This record gives sequence, structure tokens and C-alpha cells, in this order.
Amino acid sequence: MKDLKHLIYFENLLDNADNELVEQAAKDGRYIMGYTCYHIPEVLLNVDKCVSVRLRAPRTGSIDISTYYMSNYVCEYARALLERAIEGGYQFLDGLAAVDACSMMNRFYEHFNILKCNEKPHFFLPILDVPYKTEDFSYNHMQRQLEVRLLAAMKEHLGVDISDSAIRAAVAEHNIICRIMQEISEMRKADNPVITGYEFHVLNLVTYTCPKYLILPYLQETLEELKKRKPDDKLPRARVGIVGSEIDDPEFTRMIEDAGARVVFDRHCFGSTPGREVIELNDKEDALPQVVRHYMNSCECARYIADNKVLQRRETADRLAKEFKADGIIYEQMKYCDFWGFERALVSHIMAEEYGWPVLSIDRLYNAKGSGQLRTRFQAFVESLEIKKIQKGGK
Amino acid sequence: MVLTTELLGIKNALAERIEKKRGKASTKTKYPNPAFFRAKDNINWKAQGRNIAEVANICVEMFKEADHKAFWKLQADRCVDDLRRVAEEFKQATEMSPDELMEVFLHGERTLGKLYRKGDMATVRREWKGLVDTAYDFKEWARMWGMLLMTFSKDLIPALNSALYYRWMISYFCCVGFMDKNTMGQKGSALRMSHLMIFDIFRYVAENLVFLAKCDEKNGNSRELNKKVVLFDEMTMGQIMAGFPDLIGIPYQLMPVFLVSEIDQLTCIPYIDAVESYGLPADTCPVPSSECGALVIDALPHMGSCFISSSMPCDGSVMASSYMSRRFPDLPVYHLTFPVRYEYEETTQDAVEDIKGCIKFVEEITGAKWDWNHYFEQMKRFNTETTYELQKWDVNKTDCPQIIGPCYELFRKWNYEMDGGADPRVMKTFTKVNEIMHKAYERREEAWRGKMKYRGIVWSCPAHYYANFSNWLANCWGIDILVEMESLNFTKMLETEDKDEALMDLARLYERMVMRRHTNGGYHNVVDELWRQVEDWRAEIIIMYQNVACKNMATLQGVLDDQCRDKNYHMIWIEHDLMDPRTVSRKDMRAKVNEYMRTVMKAEPVDPTLLEFDDEIAM
Repeated sequence: MKDLKHLIYFENLLDNADNELVEQAAKDGRYIMGYTCYHIPEVLLNVDKCVSVRLRAPRTGSIDISTYYMSNYVCEYARALLERAIEGGYQFLDGLAAVDACSMMNRFYEHFNILKCNEKPHFFLPILDVPYKTEDFSYNHMQRQLEVRLLAAMKEHLGVDISDSAIRAAVAEHNIICRIMQEISEMRKADNPVITGYEFHVLNLVTYTCPKYLILPYLQETLEELKKRKPDDKLPRARVGIVGSEIDDPEFTRMIEDAGARVVFDRHCFGSTPGREVIELNDKEDALPQVVRHYMNSCECARYIADNKVLQRRETADRLAKEFKADGIIYEQMKYCDFWGFERALVSHIMAEEYGWPVLSIDRLYNAKGSGQLRTRFQAFVESLEIKKIQKGGK
Repeated sequence: MVLTTELLGIKNALAERIEKKRGKASTKTKYPNPAFFRAKDNINWKAQGRNIAEVANICVEMFKEADHKAFWKLQADRCVDDLRRVAEEFKQATEMSPDELMEVFLHGERTLGKLYRKGDMATVRREWKGLVDTAYDFKEWARMWGMLLMTFSKDLIPALNSALYYRWMISYFCCVGFMDKNTMGQKGSALRMSHLMIFDIFRYVAENLVFLAKCDEKNGNSRELNKKVVLFDEMTMGQIMAGFPDLIGIPYQLMPVFLVSEIDQLTCIPYIDAVESYGLPADTCPVPSSECGALVIDALPHMGSCFISSSMPCDGSVMASSYMSRRFPDLPVYHLTFPVRYEYEETTQDAVEDIKGCIKFVEEITGAKWDWNHYFEQMKRFNTETTYELQKWDVNKTDCPQIIGPCYELFRKWNYEMDGGADPRVMKTFTKVNEIMHKAYERREEAWRGKMKYRGIVWSCPAHYYANFSNWLANCWGIDILVEMESLNFTKMLETEDKDEALMDLARLYERMVMRRHTNGGYHNVVDELWRQVEDWRAEIIIMYQNVACKNMATLQGVLDDQCRDKNYHMIWIEHDLMDPRTVSRKDMRAKVNEYMRTVMKAEPVDPTLLEFDDEIAM
């Protein structure tokens, strides 16, 4: 396929957390709000003069110092972020919206404060408590946390407008991005998609890591380009979806596709499900509780312990695999992630035994692109899917 | 078989009548309710027959495959070694002066390393603690056996059957050995207090083992009792059951996984291996891993009316419940999930809502009704127990600490988490221990005679497979552990009159359960709190456990190191893998202390025979 016009530009944007669009936003007088986790509603970090940046640690090399602080059996995403923070890589932030959702990320936030990783005088780092369930009181709990811990702090430290109208404006802007991404995502359902999994991953990541108002023109242009794009003649050998924990490195998706597969859906943190769904607001109720419900209901984090959410995660994976005509599912987890470690081990069996999907179950490091072992496993999985297809055809 | 069931039925009916008559004569309620023991079993005798045949086959196969020559050679070698040891001990005794001999005779031996022998699962003999203390120790040994036999005889057949189904049941046969291990080196008042406390724990264990066996579908299959049983995740406190006096709350995995791993270091290995083969990464905490592994190999009884899972105390524990649902899909589950940031007062009401939801769930499933009077009664007892606990701390903070050692450590955790004032008999133990402790303090007794060299504090979670590590620390190096992190929990008196405030207090109590109190809610709860406690207890040495899979603690390693250096404290890091002794053995744990004491403290051991010994496969 012909290269996308802005692909290299997007890739360059992903080379730094503090990319040129983030710098531009800061120059425009915007406040940069960092976050890492879907439990924090992204739209709330885009109210008024704020812009959200979902934190990554691109081009991570040694993580020795953070390993000293956090030890070595700990999520490499958390360690990579801490290493980058200690190096001064997040000095551009005006605030960091944190959640005590998993112990390792929580400690990253705490170290951010202990080690004074941001010197801006108005910098603030609220840590929110998030529920494990979706009962009525859980929604209230989340809403109160957002009001008391996040929005109030944003108003106090940055002086921004956190009113209902400001939240609605942020949701409107968010929805524009989501509609574009959804339209692009739909293209992946075609038998011979005009977009690769890698390209989609790159596009999706820039929507998380760049100010919305600055990235929007590029996305719109890319959408138009994709509409006219001609796919390769050759069909992918196998169509797979990814389900699991945090992947902010598009090279991981590329590695799967280099093995001959096409990644057709992305149900992982930093993926488009959840994250790029349109938020429908009504006028009868304040925006905040609606936003809270949207994020809590759509959240697919393995931390949600309630039976309905456990089932939802399996059903979502099954639904996406059917909708995007996947041949198999790759269940992945960031190494040392407790939530996804337990979830992956169990659900990879369930998806195979009860839902009938061929499943590849892997754990991986934050910086996984150099892993020959993973590459071999992807190749073997693609081959097994091909064999299954042949056998199915033979019948 | 049928005749046995009939006879049992008659026996139960008679016992019930007697109980009713007694009930009229006295309004005093017994704990646990005797009716629970008498609940009718529905044993599937055909299945039992099949299982016995299978076990017999396994035994025959084992017998056939065993290397009998090597077995008998080993026995012969041991006999020779025993003779050599006896001769050596006799020789040592003859070389002693009359005063020395009298000292040993009256106050016990001082070199304990010789009790261990490479390749043995138990010590070569019991410790000689001196004439009076050995006699007392033997009396307690007999009392423990008596209690165990009496408790199991309340419904013996299911309990015996379960020993044929579950390998962890066999480990409980060694519980008296566990008692010996935990009291090693203790004498006088310290020994008495330890025995009193560990007795209560094992009475609770024995009673619950009987209930497990009676309820288990494979064994007693008592439908009557199962209706009354509410299962808890073992990491959930039992106090919520105070409002349901007609039900039994059983910490489900406590007996098959958690506690037994303290008794027998090898118990959890098959669980861990099974779940890792299933696909679980090896870096997860061994507690939830073992729980899940026990489910994978079907080592947990199928029982109860419902299950209360929990989000405590860490991420791994949260996830274990989905394995439970997978194994027992017919068991209704309530997920009790408290806010992690428990110091945010605005979250307490949400915790209360969760408790209310849990109560409603139990009511709906079991038909029982929450009883405020009973709840308040139990909490009053729990408050009194907390008062006693605080007195222990006060004494231990003085220059003459009295109540130290593994029995106390276990008792504190068990009482705080599992008993929670439920058992009125425990109050007697508190009173007795308190009396002994104060008298011993007045006499300025040494809790570890001649071995009080350093004041120590334990931080982070201890290794299950080395529950008596603090005992070794005292006996070998004279490091006396005054308090553990896991003991320092919520000590506020719980509300016993206002219902709304009582629920708030209950939420606060749960949020500050063992481990969670420190590892959740922010790093200050474990880092700043440590320095505060070190000052408060005037500790000279910090035993800093490092469970290699505990992410909550491991993620603060650097900060703890940095701040400890700044404060110039002695902190000994001791790695372990909680329930898996293959990763870091007991010997490796001891080596860390030996190294620090020799190189940094330039210290001499109190008992050099304990520096190096082999207990790789010892219970």
C-alpha cells in the first residue's frame, strides 16, 4: 500500500512524550495534564485551557535507577515512566492525574512526588481512589473522587473552568476525534483492510499523546486519504486481535504483522477499545455523572472484580473478534502486571475452551520489539491459524 | 455403613435433646454452636469406597515402587546416628561440672542446633527446657492432643475421609511439632503464654477442619450445615459475621492453604506448580497463586452457601476470585471491595455501602437476619481484647519486654483477623496471658533467658514457610522481635451503640486489616510509619522482609534504603518467597542475618550451633 502522508510525522510525534505539538500547546497558554490510566476520564483533563497527554516513555533504554527504587519484579511501564521522570522528561507537565488502581503505578506517582520530578511551582499530583465494581455507590464514589480530588485541584492550581459547560465542550472536542478514529477503525473490518494494525496503532497513540485541537487537522486529512487508499492485492495470512494490558509501543503491533498477521482490533490500554468511543451526553443531567458512567461502564481493566465486569471483558473480546472477523486472539500482559497476569492465564483458557477462539497467551516487557522469542511465537501462531483455515476449508 | 449412619443419627438426636435441656437450665450460649457439629451428614458411601480403593491402590503402588533397601539403610543409619548422638550428649554431660549439670537440669539446654539433622522432617528429639518447663511443655503437648482428639471426635468420619482426599490435611497431623518449633528456647512465663495462645489457634483450626470436612461435598456433604456456612476469602476479616450468630463464617482458604503453609513449608509447592503450569506468571504473590493453584488441582472443599471475595490486601488477591468463580460457578459470590485510599474520609461512606450490600447478600442467600445486639456484644469483646493487646505493647516497649516470639505473632494476627471477638473462650486466654505477663514484668523476667541482646522490629510480610524465624533470631543472635508490622493495626475502640457509626468503624477496621493497613493508602503508611515505630519501640535492628513477589513493598525498596541510611538504622533485608521455599530457602534467610551480624555488627552468636544447620525439608 502507498505510505500514508503523515505517517512519518506521527511516528516522530511518538518519539518524545514532550513532542512538538505538546510544546506548541504550552506556548498557546495551555496547561498540560498528564495521565496514564483509563480510570481517569481523559475528557476531564481537556477542560478549558487544559490538554491531556497520556504518558509514555518512548525510546526507553536503561531503567537502572527506577529499578533501584522500585526493584526488578515490577511492571516495566511503571519503571520506565519513573526513569524518564527522574531524567526530567516530564518537566513539561503542569499536573499529573493519578489513580491508585494498581500498586505499581501508584508507586510511580508517589515516587514522582518523593523524588520531586517536576519543579513547576503550581505542579500538582492528585491521587484518586477508584472503585472495583459498578454498583450505584461505586459511580457516586468515582464522581466524588473526581470532584474533590481532581477537578477541585485543577481549579485551585491552574485556575481553569471546571463547570458543566466546560466539561461538555471538552466532550464535544473529544467526540470529534473519536468519530474520526471510529471511522478509521471500521475500515479494519474489510476483508482486505486499507490500513494496517501498525498504522492504526500509531494514529490512535497520537490521539492520546497530542493536544486534540492540534492533531485534529492531520487526522482529518488522514481519514480522507484512507478513504481513497487502495489495499494490497495480497490478503493477510491471518487476522488477529490484541487483548490485554498496556501497549504504547506500535513496534509491538508491527512485530505481529511482520509475522504475517494483520492486527484488526486493539482491546488493550492505549488501544481504541475502550477509549475512542463517542460519549453521548443528555441535557437532563450534569455532564460529570454521565462521563463517569461512560468511563466506568466501558472500562475493560482487569482490576474490575465484579462478575458483570469479568463477563463483560470476555464478551467484549468475543464481540470484537467476531465483528472484525479475527481468526484468533492474542492475550498479552505487561510482565509483572498482577491484574492481567491472573486475567490472561485464566481467560486465555476460557476464550479457547468456551468461546472457541484460537488464543496465543504471552507476557512481554515494556520494550518488546527486540524479542526473538516473541517473534517466533507470533510466527508459530500465524502458522497455526493458517493450518486451521486450511483444515476448515478442507472440511 | 448404613448402620453407622443410623447410630450417628440416634447419637445426634440424643445429644440435641440433652442440649435443649441444658439450654433451658442455662441461657449461656456455647461457642461454636454445638448444633453445627451435630448437623446431619449426607455421606456418599459408595464414593468413599471408591476413594478408599483408589488411595489403597496408590499406597500399594508406592510400596512397590519404593526402594526398600535404601529405606531400611536410612533407618539403620538414623539409629546409628541416634546412638552416636546419645553417646555424645552423655559424654558432654559427664564433662560438665555439677553446677553446670544442675543448670542444664533445672533450666534447660542452651545449644539447640543439634536438634536438627539433615534430611529429617522433624527435630531429632524434643528440647530439654529444664525440669519444670519440660514437665509443663509435656502437659501442654498432652492437652493439645486431647483437644484435637476431642474436637475431631465430634464428627470423626468426615474428618478422616478428608485426610484421604486432601494432602494438606496430613500436614495438620504435625501441628504439635509446629507448636514445639514455635516455643523452642522459651521457658518460664514466656513458654506459658505461648502455649496458651497457640492452643486457642489450634482449637479454632481443629473446629474449622471438622466443619470443612462435614460440609465438603466429597465428605460429610452436610446440606444442613452448608446452609449455615458463609465462606470468606482468607484475606477478609471475620468481624462482619458478628451480626449473624446463627451462621458460621469460614475463611475458606485459611486451612487448606494459608495456615498449613506455616506448619509445613512444602505444602504449597504443588499448588504453585499447578497454577504456573496453567499459565500464571511466577512473579505473582504466592498467596493468591497458591489459592488459585489449590483450585486448579481441586484441593479445596466444595461447600458453603456463598462466598465473600475481597480486594484485600493487594492486586493479586483481587484477581483470585475469578478462579474461584470458575471452579465453583454455582456458589454465589459477593465482592467486598474497600477503597484503597482509606485515609480519604470521603471514601468511608462507600465502604459502608459495600458492607450493607454484603449484609443484604448474606441475608438473601441464607435467610438469616442481621442481629445488632449480637454484633455489639462481640465488638465489645473485641474492644476488650484490643485493650489487652495495647497492654502487651506497653510492656514490650519497656526495657523488659515479656511477650515475644512466633506464638504471639500468630495469635495477634489470628485474633485480629479471624476470631475478632467471636469466641468468648479466647477472652479467658487474654486474661490469663495478661496476668502472667504483668507478674513476669514485675519480676523483671527475661522473655528469652540470657538471650536478650538486641531490640528488633519486623517490617513487611514474613515468610510463611519460616513462621518461627523470630524464634531463631532470638535463639541464635539474641535479636528479640518486640513487634511485627502485621500486628500494628487498627486499635480504635469500635462503636458499640450507634448503628451508623458502628458501620463506619467496621469499614475503617476492614480497611486497616493486616498488611493492608500499611501497604495500601500511600507510601507514608509503610515508610514513615516504620521510622515512627522504630522510635516508639526503641528498636535497634529492623528485620526487613522482602517478599520477592510483593509489589506493594518491593516498589518502596529504594526509598526505604535511602531513608534508613539517612537515619543510620540497622536494617537487614531478608528476601523470601512467602510460600515457596525453593526460591529462597530458610537457610538463605538465616545467612542474611548471619552475614550482617558478623560483618556489620561484629557480633558473636548466642548459640553458635544455630548458625548453620540443614532444615531444607523439615516441616
